[in-house]
Formats: sequence, structure tokens, C-alpha cells
Amino acid sequence: MPAKKLVELQISHIQKTFGKGKHAKKILKGAHIHLKPGECTLLSGKNGSGKSTLMRIIAGLLKPDSLQLAINQQQTSGRKACRLLRQQVMYLYQEAYMFDGSVMRNLSYALSEKNPQKLQSALRWADLEHRKDTQAKCLSGGEKQRLALAQAWLKRPGILLLDEPTANMDKHAKRRTGKLLGEFKQAGITLLIATHDLDHLLPIMDRRLILENGKLLEANKRGTLQTK
Amino acid sequence: MHSLSDSILEAFSLLFSGNAELWQIIGISFQISTTAILIAAIPAILIGFILAYTDFPGRRLLISIFNTLLAVPAVVVGLSLYIVLSRQGPLGEWHLLFTQTAMVLGQITLSFPILVAMSHSAFQSAEIRAWDTARTLSSNALRAFLIMLREVRFGLLGALLAAYGRIIAEVGASMMLGGNILHYTRNIPTAIALETSKGEFAQGIALGIILLLMSFLLTTVLHYLQGRGMLAHAR
Repeated sequence: MPAKKLVELQISHIQKTFGKGKHAKKILKGAHIHLKPGECTLLSGKNGSGKSTLMRIIAGLLKPDSLQLAINQQQTSGRKACRLLRQQVMYLYQEAYMFDGSVMRNLSYALSEKNPQKLQSALRWADLEHRKDTQAKCLSGGEKQRLALAQAWLKRPGILLLDEPTANMDKHAKRRTGKLLGEFKQAGITLLIATHDLDHLLPIMDRRLILENGKLLEANKRGTLQTK
Repeated sequence: MHSLSDSILEAFSLLFSGNAELWQIIGISFQISTTAILIAAIPAILIGFILAYTDFPGRRLLISIFNTLLAVPAVVVGLSLYIVLSRQGPLGEWHLLFTQTAMVLGQITLSFPILVAMSHSAFQSAEIRAWDTARTLSSNALRAFLIMLREVRFGLLGALLAAYGRIIAEVGASMMLGGNILHYTRNIPTAIALETSKGEFAQGIALGIILLLMSFLLTTVLHYLQGRGMLAHAR
């Protein structure tokens, strides 16, 4: 895969509250995150701690209450920040959403121009050549994940966010996914992966963050919190 | 007055003999309703999309308003637009009353809430993950919107057909705004009303058959599309 222009992302004072009045629940309480170019950061935290919310905010898909952003050291905020994030960041759901249509059609959505050769090479890369005419919604969980990764491979974002990419997979599929993610890292794409399943991702991990009480804490590889 | 069987036979004879007046009325009906749907569709689908995927103050109120407007009788729409377009009305100077344009306006007003409410439901049925995925894959919002249009196409086609079915058969607004002028604003429902009031059932029955066929066709296509849509989302 050709190398990608490295992207550095710093987001601070991320706050997000769901609900209003008595039912308001503050999920993120001024979290700070610094994604260094080409690094792979693993994000863990209890269920419901706000990992998916944080990732959707970083991807520019969910509007935070407040946020300060610096992409490649350029400061910005507000709507422009969301737009910039959407341009640089790609977010993959835990269970990838497949649109109605074949694998090939779903893959083509990641390209802004028609390029059958690129599509073929992406299919080969994700080992989905034999499934190219299959309805994407009929793929297995592992195949859907590989198709989503192939879309990312084509789009080549500066930063790739993955929400539990190995959840509900067997060991073989987890190894395969781990290998594909390693190729993203080699290509210089910055990775942030929310996961409970560290074993298959430890080889590519550079840093580990834990989301606790709405804030991000730095931890070592074993998950022990480090003093800031 | 003819017997019912005579009238039915005469109705079929009118249809198959290619009666110019009858087919002109059918042509006017389809021309006006198709124009109205074509004008209303794009803004209504856009509003349905915005209501489904964006959050802004007053969104829920807007959804309630559009849902309420679904039940507004055609004659009330006709009356409201009649007041606006009549000589003393705010748009009286435009001389639109008793024209095809006035009928198109009436049918746009009638079809708009149906199109908004049904396209809103269609977009909502695709869940937020679909929209997030479309945005994260696309280089711009327009492309993401086009991906979503394809994803919910069966639901949107259903909305178009349901709205078309409503306006092609409505009589209240067409009668008040068009004035039922032969060769100009007389459409299927207003012609049926007129011929029946004169005791001339044959033409009314012939036009009724066309409306029934149209309704059967729309319902069959709608049923098929809804089945396809459900199948697509269940996979």
C-alpha cells in the first residue's frame, strides 16, 4: 500500500452530555487525546464508559458540547473542526454497516471516481475476490469487517478509528484482522482502536489509553494507569 | 336515464373507441399530478432527510406538523388556496385561479406532507449507522446523501406512489382551484363529479375504471417495493 501523508491530531476539552435537565448524563468530561502520526493507540474502558461516543466525536460524526482541535498543529474549533475531522478521519463501527448491493458496489462507495483496477486490488487485499458479486448484507461478520477494512484501504484516511474490530470473531478471523490492521500501520496511517480484546492487537500497539469517568488516562501495555 | 348495465357497456365503448374528450381529461389529470409530484418530490425528500438525521430546535414540532397535515381534507387545502389566489387575496394579481397552475399548486400542497412524512420514515428505517457509514466513506455530503437515497430507494418510491395516488383522485382542491373547465382544467375526479350530477354515468364509470386501474397498479407496485425494501433491510 502506498504511504499516506502522516496526520497528527490533538483534541482537548472534549465534553459531551446526553439528555437534558434531570435526565442529563455527562459522558465525556473534558477528555484530551493526542494521536501521534503513524502510531497505533488502543483504547479501553468499561462498557458504557463512552468509547464509541468519543470515537464518533473524533470522526466528526457526533457534535460535542465543546472541543478544541489541532490537526497537524493547526488550531480550529466549531463546525470547521467537525468538517476537518470528517475529511481526515474514517470510523468503522463494531458491526460494519453494509449497504444494499453487492460487495463490489459497497467497495466502490469508498472511491470518488470509477477505478475497477483499484477495486480489484482492494478485493484481493481483503481476500474477498470470490465474494465480489455477493450481497454485502449476506456476508459473515468477519467478511463484513474485511470489506470495511478494504473500504478504508481504498479511501486511505489519515486516521482510522475502529470500534471493537475483532468482536464476535473466531481466532483465525481475529489473526487475519490483526494482520490487516498491521498493514495500515506500516503504511503510516494513525490508528485508534477501541477494544477489550488486546491479545491480537498487542503486536501493533504503541500506546494504551483508558477511558474512565469521562476522562482519558494513559496506561502501560498491561493496562496499569500511569501518573500524568 | 340509462340502466346500470347500459352505462357500463357505454363506458367500455367510450374507453376502447378512443373518445377524444375522455382521453383528454385523462391526459390533463396525469399531466397536472405528475407536474405536482415532480416539483414537490425533491424539497420534500430533502426535508424528510434533514428531519431524520439532524437535530435542531423545533424538529419534533415540525415532524408533528407534517404528520397532522397528512389528514387535512383536500377541500380545506382548496379553500385556503382559493382565498390566497382569489382577486382579493394576496396573490390575486397573478390571475392564477381556475388555471392548471392553481391545480398544480393545490396538488403540491396536498402531496407535500405525505412525501415528507413517508421519506422521513424511509430514512429513519435505515438507522443512524447507515448515515454515519455513508459520511465516513464519502468525500462530501452530497455523495453521502446520494448513497442514502439509493439505500432507501424502495421507501422513497413508496412515498412517491402514495402521494401520487392521493392527488390524482382528489376532487375538492381541483374543483375549487381549477373550476372544472372543459379541455383545460377538467380532470378525472372533477369530470366524474360533473357527469354524475348530470345523471350521465357512462363517462363517470369510464373515468372511474381508469382511476381503479391506476389505484390497483400503484398498490401492487407499492406492495412489491415495500417487500423489496424489507428484504433489503432484513438481509
